[in-house]
Amino acid sequence: MNERSITYLSDAFLITCVLQKELAEDVLAAAKNIGAQGATISYARGTGIRERMGLLGVTIDEQKEVIRIIVSEEQANLVFEAMYLAGKLDTPGMGIMYMVKLDRVATYVPDAILNAAK
Amino acid sequence: MRYSDYLNAVSFHHKTVSYNVLAPKIDPSAPKVDKRLDITLQQSLALIGPYCYTRIMDQVKAVVPLAAYLILFQILILRHPIDSALMLGGGLVAVIVGLAIFMEGLNTGLMPFGTIIGDNLPKKASMTVVLIIIGMLGVGVTFAEPAIGALQAFGSSVDVNSAPYLYELLNNWTLPLVLMVGAGVGLAAILGTVRFVRGWSLKPMIYCALVPVMILTGYAWLDPNLRSVLGLAWDCGAVTTGPVTVPLVLSLGIGIANAAGKGQSSLSGFGVVTLASLFPILAVLILAIFMSLTVTPDEIREAAQLASDAVAVVPTVWDQTPLIEIVTGVRAILPLVLFLMFVLFIVLRSKLPNRMVTFYGLTLSIVGMCIFNVGLTYGLGAIGSQTGSVLPAAFMELPISQFSPIYPELVGICIVIVFAFLMGFGATLAEPALNALGLTVQNLTNGAFKKSMLMYSVATGVAVGIALGIAKLVIGFDLMTVLIPLYLLGVFLTIFSTEEFVNVAWDSAGVTTGPVTVPLVLAMGLGLGSAVSAVEGFGILSLASICPILAVLTMGLGIQYLNRTKSSEKHTVPEALL
Repeated sequence: MNERSITYLSDAFLITCVLQKELAEDVLAAAKNIGAQGATISYARGTGIRERMGLLGVTIDEQKEVIRIIVSEEQANLVFEAMYLAGKLDTPGMGIMYMVKLDRVATYVPDAILNAAK
Repeated sequence: MRYSDYLNAVSFHHKTVSYNVLAPKIDPSAPKVDKRLDITLQQSLALIGPYCYTRIMDQVKAVVPLAAYLILFQILILRHPIDSALMLGGGLVAVIVGLAIFMEGLNTGLMPFGTIIGDNLPKKASMTVVLIIIGMLGVGVTFAEPAIGALQAFGSSVDVNSAPYLYELLNNWTLPLVLMVGAGVGLAAILGTVRFVRGWSLKPMIYCALVPVMILTGYAWLDPNLRSVLGLAWDCGAVTTGPVTVPLVLSLGIGIANAAGKGQSSLSGFGVVTLASLFPILAVLILAIFMSLTVTPDEIREAAQLASDAVAVVPTVWDQTPLIEIVTGVRAILPLVLFLMFVLFIVLRSKLPNRMVTFYGLTLSIVGMCIFNVGLTYGLGAIGSQTGSVLPAAFMELPISQFSPIYPELVGICIVIVFAFLMGFGATLAEPALNALGLTVQNLTNGAFKKSMLMYSVATGVAVGIALGIAKLVIGFDLMTVLIPLYLLGVFLTIFSTEEFVNVAWDSAGVTTGPVTVPLVLAMGLGLGSAVSAVEGFGILSLASICPILAVLTMGLGIQYLNRTKSSEKHTVPEALL
C-alpha cells in the first residue's frame, strides 16, 4: 500500500512572456536550449499601445502567444535573458516578459530523480 | 556565494529602473484621453522591418523552392538554358511581393468585413436575405481569386480548330465563364451555410452534387466538340477554392452558425470548400452545353478566322503591361469591396471598428493583386510554360532543344512523370493552407490523425494527381477514363468512412491548390500540351484534386481500422498507464 504524498518544490520561478503570434517558436527553442524543461503556451489578444499608434499599429499583431515556463532559481536569469534575446524584445512592439518567484510547485517527480538528488 | 547570485552578477548587461518613475502620473481631475504616441523614424523602421520580413518570408518559402526546382530541372535534366532569366527573376519577385501585400491586405482589410457581416447579418436580416447575400458574395470572391485570372490568361493558347468550344469559352465567353463559376461558388456557399445551421451530413450532399456532374460530363463526353471542355470544367473546381474564397466564406458561415447557436460542432467549418469545388464544375458544364446549343463549331471557327485575318488592332495603352494587369487587378477586387461595403453600410447600417486600418488593408489588397498579376504574367506563368514546352525534349525531338531527344523514349517519359510527381509533392508541402488544415485536423481528431500524416498523404495525393495529369498529356489518354473511376472510388470510400474523415478529405483537395501552384501547373500543362500537340492542356488540376481525397480517405479508413483493433485490446491495458 503506497501512502500518497506530495513533494513541494521550492526555489522556483515563473517566467511569462507575451509575444506576437507565431513568434513563440524561437523563444521556446532558446529557453529549452538553455535548460528549461517545459512550457505552456496559450493564445491571447493584446491591447494598449496598438490603438495609440495610428496606422503604424498594423505592424503589431493583435493576436499574442503567452509562454509560461517554470524554472529553477539557478536557471532563472539565464533562461530569462535567453528568451529576451531570442524574442528580440529590445525591438519595439515585440512583446513583454516578466518573472515572479513561486511560493511552491508540485507535480509528479520520478523517484529516481528524487533519490539521485539526495 | 550562491551559484545563482554568481550567475546574476556575471550575466548580460542590465540596469533596473522603477516603474513608478516611468509610468505616467495619474491626474484624477483631468479627463482621461489616449494620447497619440510620438514615434521616431528609427522606431517606426524597427516596427516595419520585422512586419515586412515575416510576411515576405512566408511567400518566399512557398515560391522559391518550387521555382528553383523547375529551373534546376530544366538546366540539369533537360539541358536547356533558362530563356529571359532576368525577366523571370523579376516576375518571381513580383509574385512574392504581390502575394505578401495581397495576403496582408486580405487579413487586415477584407476579413474584418467578413467577420462583422457574419456576426451581425443573421441578427438583423431574415434567413432568406442572409442566403441571398452569401450567394452574391460567392460570385464576388470568385472574381477576386488570384488563380482565376490565371485561367483566363491562357485562353489564347487553345487551337480553335481542334477544340472550338474550349477556344470560344476562354476567349469570347470569359465573363460568363467567371460568372458561372462564381454562381457555382455562391450556390456552394448557400448550401454550406444551410448545412452549418441545420447540421446536415456532408455525405448525401456529395452524392447529390456528383450525380448531375456525372450526367452532364457523360453528355459532354459523347459530343466530340464538347469533350475538350471537360478538362477546363473539372479544373475550375480546383481553381476556385483559393485564399480569398475559403477564409471569407468560412468566416461568414461560421458567424451565421454561431448566431444560430450551432457553431459548437467541431466540424462546422468544413464542407463549403468541397461544395465550392464541385458546383463550379456543374456550372461550367451547363454553360458549355448552353453554348453548344447556341453556336456551332463552324461559326466559331469562321469568327476566329475573321478575327485573325482582320488587321491586328493596335493595342491601346490600356491593353499593355503593366496597365492591363493593374486594370484586371482593380477589376477583380473592387466589386467585392463595393458589395461588402453595400451590405455593411446599407443593409446592416453598421460601422467599421477601425476605418483607417480597414482602408489600409483594402488598398493593400488592390495593390497586391496588381503586382501579383504582373508577376503571374512574367514570373509563374512564363516559367511554367517554358518548362512545360521544353519538358517533352526528354523523350522526343523538339526543334527548340538541340539535344533532343535526350533520353530513350521510355526513360524520358519516366523522368517527366517522376519530375511531375516530385513537383506536386514539394509544392503541396509548401502550401501554408495545408499546414493550417493539418493543425485543425490534429486538434479535431484529438491527435489520432497527426498533422504530418495528413500533410504527407495530401501531398502524395497531389503528386500522384499531377503525375497522372502529365502522363495524360504525354501519353494522350482520355481524361475522363481516369477521372470518373477515381471519383467513383472516392464515393465508394466515402460510404465507408466516418463523417469527420469525409469532411476533412473532401476539403483537403480544395485547400491544396493555392495561388502559386495553380498558375504554375496550368501554365506547365498548357506549355507541355502545345509542345506535344495535345488538344488541350487542362485536367491536371482536377486529377490533383481527386487524388488527395482518395489518399486522405484511405488513410482515415486505415486509422479507423487500427483504432478498432486497438480498442478491442484496450481492456488488457492497465488504467494507470493510460
